[in-house]
Amino acid sequence: MILHVNNVQPDRTARASSVVSTLIALAGEGKLPPQVLDNLNVHLDWVQYKTNFREAVSVRRATKGDELLPWIEVGVDLRQVREETLKEEFVRALNGGASDPAGSPERVYFEPFKPLRSCMIWDFNRLFWQHLPLWEKAVGHGFEKALPTGQSDANHPAAVKDSVFDFWTLLKDMDNQKQLPAEIFVLEIGVGTGQRAALWLDCFRDLDRERGTQYYPRIRFLLADYSFPILDAAQKTLRDHRELASFLAVDALDPFKSLSFLRYKVLYIHLTNVYDNLPTDEIVIRDGQLYLVEARAYVSSAAAAPICEKFGVPPGEFSRTVNRLVDVSPQHLGLSTLEENVGFWRAVWDAIRLEERFVSLEGISDVPLPANIRPSQLETFMANAASNQRFQLSSGVLESFVNTIPLLHPRGHLQVQDIFVTELADYPKIFRGPGKMDGSVVNWVNGALLAEVGEQAGYDVHFAPFHYREGSRTSILYTTHRE
Amino acid sequence: MNLPILPTTVVGSYSMPGWLERLKTEFFARRISRHELDEIHDAATKAAIKDQEVAGLDIISDGELRRDNMVDYFAERLPGVQTDHGSKKFYYDFYDSVVRGKLPIASLRLVDDYRFLAALTDRATKFCVTGPHTLVKRIRDEHYKNEEALATDIARVMNFELKELVRAGVRHIQIDEPYYSGFPEDFPWGVRVLNTLVDGVDAKITLHVCYGNRYGKPSWAGNYRYLFPTILEARIHGVTLEFARRGGEDLQLFKEFPNKLELGVGVIDVKGHEVETPDLVAERIRKALQYVPAERLFVLPDCGCLHLPQDVAFNKLKSMVQGTRIVRKEVGG
Repeated sequence: MILHVNNVQPDRTARASSVVSTLIALAGEGKLPPQVLDNLNVHLDWVQYKTNFREAVSVRRATKGDELLPWIEVGVDLRQVREETLKEEFVRALNGGASDPAGSPERVYFEPFKPLRSCMIWDFNRLFWQHLPLWEKAVGHGFEKALPTGQSDANHPAAVKDSVFDFWTLLKDMDNQKQLPAEIFVLEIGVGTGQRAALWLDCFRDLDRERGTQYYPRIRFLLADYSFPILDAAQKTLRDHRELASFLAVDALDPFKSLSFLRYKVLYIHLTNVYDNLPTDEIVIRDGQLYLVEARAYVSSAAAAPICEKFGVPPGEFSRTVNRLVDVSPQHLGLSTLEENVGFWRAVWDAIRLEERFVSLEGISDVPLPANIRPSQLETFMANAASNQRFQLSSGVLESFVNTIPLLHPRGHLQVQDIFVTELADYPKIFRGPGKMDGSVVNWVNGALLAEVGEQAGYDVHFAPFHYREGSRTSILYTTHRE
Repeated sequence: MNLPILPTTVVGSYSMPGWLERLKTEFFARRISRHELDEIHDAATKAAIKDQEVAGLDIISDGELRRDNMVDYFAERLPGVQTDHGSKKFYYDFYDSVVRGKLPIASLRLVDDYRFLAALTDRATKFCVTGPHTLVKRIRDEHYKNEEALATDIARVMNFELKELVRAGVRHIQIDEPYYSGFPEDFPWGVRVLNTLVDGVDAKITLHVCYGNRYGKPSWAGNYRYLFPTILEARIHGVTLEFARRGGEDLQLFKEFPNKLELGVGVIDVKGHEVETPDLVAERIRKALQYVPAERLFVLPDCGCLHLPQDVAFNKLKSMVQGTRIVRKEVGG
């Protein structure tokens, strides 16, 4: 057995010790057969999010084609484990049906194994944003309340003010060089409540008036989101700027598709907390061999029973009902009332977990990369990877990035406020998701890979800490044109 | 060599294969030798020439695949320019280049590139060089303390080289000056330097001005109005400008400022991967014909095909040739 101590928080050392002593006790009691013990890799992780998709102890098996590889990985979330149930959790996990296509009889599965970016949690994520008012009504607060501080850093007045000042300075410089276009395009992707855009425009209008530059009337502020409820709410928030604000349904994965008429015309593109909410695959390196993480969503039978009872769903119909929920939306689920439908949605989301397996890849060219990303770019990024490493590919982020930068004016820049892992070597320190943020999915973003992709597209990608709020984990990504 | 009406050509560079990018970078990491890289360049250049011929171009370049970028190939050859070879990790990066004294006049050793090209094709050929204005923007000056003075001396050195190229048989020379568009205020002295560069060079000289193509994206925005009327003082035969991506609005400058310049009209957008149809190419040529007569018009992409995937570049060139043939029939060519 090999024990990988990836991360132990200072106040969790006792739990880490009890994991070790439990494993030794299990081996001593003969509950870990020699063939299991020989192939066992135990990873002590600190999963970033309190609510996530993992059990306290979970088993991941690896496959190569149809063959189940002998080594067994056990992930231990030190945040969740309870000393008193640890032994039982280990036994249950190791005796469960992980990677067996049929799975464990103690779990109700909703789908077969799929690459992480395609599995059902992303359908739930879409459901959340497209039917946000239903969720917010049920929980009794707006979605931003789920953020660690109860509000979005996007709306921090000092950060917005600095952004406005920097942008005005750029415009003034272009104006001095007679390069300022007649229409000044600004794009915000993922508009939240619209508060940031409103604040930004208020600030810009005030500064413009103060300096007498007349840039404000030339602004064309585009607010882009794939959620109509979000766009409707933002439109109300921006009523003071309705003359120059437009609200567009745009897929964050491919803004260029909807906005190609703005190629090389947008001077400022901003995103806050969008990248952390885009689908991603994960790559695992074990002893130098590459694996793609596949997952299948499930709810434990123990958790499914009370949900079925509460909402009157026959246990045999549970999986089908969950699939119908993501297919037809909560409005049309067909339980007794809309409130029941939403209640069922929330209960399933609360209980949903992911069972993972690792699928062996021949090499980097087998890694599923978004179009326009070359395997050589990933190869450069992975040149310094450790022989045991797990990281997010941030597939959706890369796709979004390469489909956004062609909109940038030669003097324009992209600014992203989000949670980034800026060095590959930082990955083993904490496992960075996926986690649950209210009804949506949240992941840290592989900033190091993004920087590599940006560099080869002609942009230097920089990360600055979000210094406006003490203790913030947010960073600000900004691009500069690469000479 | 007789050329058809509306001759087709490239701006200079052809698609850089990903594997060649990697091998070039391997050279900087000292994992392959100079000799091996030269052989690789020869093979890639032959393929680029063949692709241009098969696509049906009338005037062929060598594809410029030996060049890491449009600056370093010249900076490291210019006598008196010191390049720090440890200053780049990726082949496409720029060297840190510096001038610390007056530039002496000596050969840039470009003739071999031309001879390699000429030996491999029966088509008409062109040879492209980066102009002094662009070079001074990327070479640190610790001696002249004046951009025009440095550019003028670079022009004198390169004038010597252009004459060498003409002696070797070059008939079409293109001067690439994209940085004019980034620094339009320099254009008056840029033209003085350009005239020094081409003084006494007995070849057809065209000037290529675009809005940049570094990493396959524009470096600047604006329009070509700044070129006029100053460009009419340049001792050149023609200009090649980008119109496919930016639209043909600036074509009217050729009517507003009557001139005898030939126009290389950019009809292929090299920043997008969608292949233009021959009909769209024909439409763009017809639009240019409203401002410049057919006998003074030639047809080419907006800029180099360097950043396009090989299949996209090849298909775009083929489409350009097919579109040109449509218009040739219409104008009786």
